[in-house]
This record gives sequence, structure tokens and C-alpha cells, in this order.
Amino acid sequence: MSRAVAAARARRIGTPRPALVEVGPDRRPVAVGHARVEAVREDWVVEDRWWTGRRLRRRYFELVLEDGRNVVVFHDLEARSWHTQRG
Amino acid sequence: MGAPSRTYANMCSHMVVCVSIPRFSLLAALGDRRVLAQDAVALGPEPGHEQVLGEVSPRAETFGVTTGMRVGEALSRCPELRLVPPDPEGVRGLWTVVLERIESIGGAPESERPGVAYFDARGLRGIHGGSLDGVLEAARRKLGRARLGVAPTRFAAWCAASRTSARRPTLTVERRRIDDFLAPLPVALLRVRPELGELPETLERLGVMTLGELAALPAPALAERFGHPGLTARELARGDDMPLTPRRPPEPVTERVELPEGVSGQQLERTLELLIARMLARRERRGRALRAVALSARFVAGGTWRTAVTLRHASAEPERLRLVLKPRLGELPAPAESLALEVEAFGPPAREQTRMLDDGEAERRGRLAEAIGQARQAAGEGAALRVLDVDPGSRVPERRSVLAPFPDP
Repeated sequence: MSRAVAAARARRIGTPRPALVEVGPDRRPVAVGHARVEAVREDWVVEDRWWTGRRLRRRYFELVLEDGRNVVVFHDLEARSWHTQRG
Repeated sequence: MGAPSRTYANMCSHMVVCVSIPRFSLLAALGDRRVLAQDAVALGPEPGHEQVLGEVSPRAETFGVTTGMRVGEALSRCPELRLVPPDPEGVRGLWTVVLERIESIGGAPESERPGVAYFDARGLRGIHGGSLDGVLEAARRKLGRARLGVAPTRFAAWCAASRTSARRPTLTVERRRIDDFLAPLPVALLRVRPELGELPETLERLGVMTLGELAALPAPALAERFGHPGLTARELARGDDMPLTPRRPPEPVTERVELPEGVSGQQLERTLELLIARMLARRERRGRALRAVALSARFVAGGTWRTAVTLRHASAEPERLRLVLKPRLGELPAPAESLALEVEAFGPPAREQTRMLDDGEAERRGRLAEAIGQARQAAGEGAALRVLDVDPGSRVPERRSVLAPFPDP
């Protein structure tokens, strides 16, 4: 039944990317990839769409790495996976 | 294969085929749940419209529930009645498929509403075995269990289709039998013609119950009492009708954005802005302005919504389109999980009106347009984009901004 319908998700900015994150005994990141974490500047939790079947639960960390980079990573508490994200 | 039609000899005259799929909108809205049509179900009222039912199932009719009945009255008559959310977008899509199937056998369909279409069988006999039966057979293969009524005029063909059944899905009436066929039929069949308004009900109240009685009334009296609708109804009852006006196949240009979360308010306005930008960037537009567009949405809770807008002046200016379409977003009764913009008619090529006094801006815009055009030529449609803030306050970063086509300067 398809016609010339350009049905597509909008191209979003700042989409999450899978990341290799090593965590310490306190469940906080200690390394992202090959870079050690110098400091955890901030952490917060985002919960959304809990009223639907596609709940979103993330624990964010803003990190300063040993090489000076400032990165944001989050642990997807539903999928149990780590991701980096800009913005 | 359906039961053979009752045809008569010497069928060389002009014949109109009416394709009728009863309760089409209800069946389309049910989708995969068509087994529910055996229960007492009815199409619910469209959001923002009068609270009356759409099409109803046969079982609902046994309780006295009819199309156009108020919801409260229907539920009091039939407490087990289940309401199905209307799906105008889905109905439109499925009906387009039906019209395309008619066109695939060589027919040029005319259709004012989903569920009923007409096409002229003249000219098709040669490509379908040389007979009307060949044309009907080809239509039956393409359209399955649709009801087919065949007669010399559009209205008579509709009457013939309304007299078919599941056991006998095709009925043909030749010209020399048309008066005898129409005479005993009820005037209620005239309701298929919206231009007659409430004339059928008025005729019934006055005791004119059949088309034969209507045809026997003098034309001057009908004109004096009912005006042009009265004369039109009399002509239909006497077997006359206007020629068919086949549809012009649309140039489907649609942009749709799926929204992972149900959105409303300002996020919808931003999404509309994105849709307009993407629509204006489509190559199919070929520089033409937009004359008529349709905005549609699918709701998170199910069902669809659609509204058509005809611009007073055809335009390809994003700001003007936004001004026209933005108020329509306020008609959405529920959060949407997708929003779509479809062009129903194009206007003439969009012309740029230059200024009398040139302050250099026109030249800069021209250079920018040239640069964007070259970038898209080299790297595709997605080469020139801009950041559009959809929900800048969202706690989820990827929902804050999207990439939209850069508007033509």
C-alpha cells in the first residue's frame, strides 16, 4: 500500500553511542575506553515514559578523563548498557 | 469468482459500473480486527466533530443503531456496542489502493467518498474480451467481494449496487429496463447525493416514497417547492444523470515524521516546521508552489486525524505555510506519535519577486541559494541542513534538536 511517502524518523542530534565503560565497586565509571577517569563532576538520573511500555531510565555521569576530555556517559538501566552522548 | 451477473442481450450502450464496498470506513478502521465486524461495533465520532456515529456493523443495526445517530442514544439502544476510533488516514490510503486497482484494468474512476466509486465501461470492452461481462470479470478479479452495479447512469448504477447481496454481488440494468428498475425503489436512495441535502427525508414526510412517484411529479411544481435539488432528484429518478468526472491521479508527495514520544504543544509546532522544510526541499515539487495540503496525525492511543487546507494563494514560502497550518495543530485532540504533511495540489511555479531598490541582499541570497544547490547536487538532499530546536528543554538530550533541510533562500 506504500505510496511516495517519505516516512522517516527525524535526524536527531546527540544520539547515544555505545561505549566501553569500566566501573568501580561503587558502580561509578573509572575508565572510558582506554582513558582513566580523573573526576566525576556530576551525576543524575533521567526517568521518562514510565507510563508506556517503553520506559526510559538512565544514570548520567559527566566525567573528566585523564587526557583532559570532558565526556558524558550514561548507564541505560533498562538495557544494562553504557553509552556516550554529547550535549 | 462471484455469481454471474444478470445481463441482457444487446449491451452495446454506455454503461456505468458502480463499485461499492459497504462499511468500508469501518472495516478499514478495524484493520486486522475485522472479525469484530460480526459484533455490535460502530465507528466513533471524529475528534472535534459532532458526536455522532459513523458506519455501524450489521449486528449493531439489529438493535436499531444507525449511521449518524448520537453516541448516547446508540449506547442506550445497544449497551454492548463497541466504538472503534476513526482512522481517516488509513481509510484514505486503502481507498486509494482500490481506485488504483480500477485504474489498472483501464477504468477512470470517479469517487466522492471512500466505499463508492464509478467508472465507465465503455472503451474497456475491447481490452477485456469484447463484452461487458469481460470488464466485470476483470473488475471482480481486482476487487474481490466488492458489490458491482451496472446501469446507464451513475445514480442507477448506485441503486443497482445497493440491490446486490453477498450471494449475488453483481447486478446489471440495461437502458430499456431502467425505468421499471428505478420506479419501485425508495427515495431514500437519493441520500447518496449530498447536493440534495435533506430532500429525501422531506419527500418521505410528504408521502413521496418511491422514485417512480417522484418521477411522475411535474417539474414546475418540484422547482417551485424545492428549487434546483428537486429538479435534480426528478432527473435522477427518471434515469438521467451527469457524466462521470474521473479523478486526476494525484501526485503523492508526503513527508512524515515519527515521534518516539507522544508530543503536543510547542514540540508539534517545531515538528511542523521540520515537515514544511522537508516538503519544500523535495525534488518532486519542481519549483512549484503549494495550492492545497493536508495535515494528518496518528495518535498514541490509536486512531488518526486529518485536515485539508487550501491556501488562498499558492505559496512556497515557509513562513506563510507555517502561519496557515499552525492553527490547525490546535485541533489535535490527543498527543500524536507521528505527524505528516501531504501535498494535495500544486500551484504554478513559485516566482521570486525582486525588490525595486537593491540593497545587496538579493545578491547574497542568490549566492547562498547557488551554494546550497551545488552542495545538494554533489552530495545529495541531505547536504545542506540546519539545526532545528524541537524540545530544547527536554531532559533527554537526543530529543532537543533535529536536523532539517536548509530552506531555499
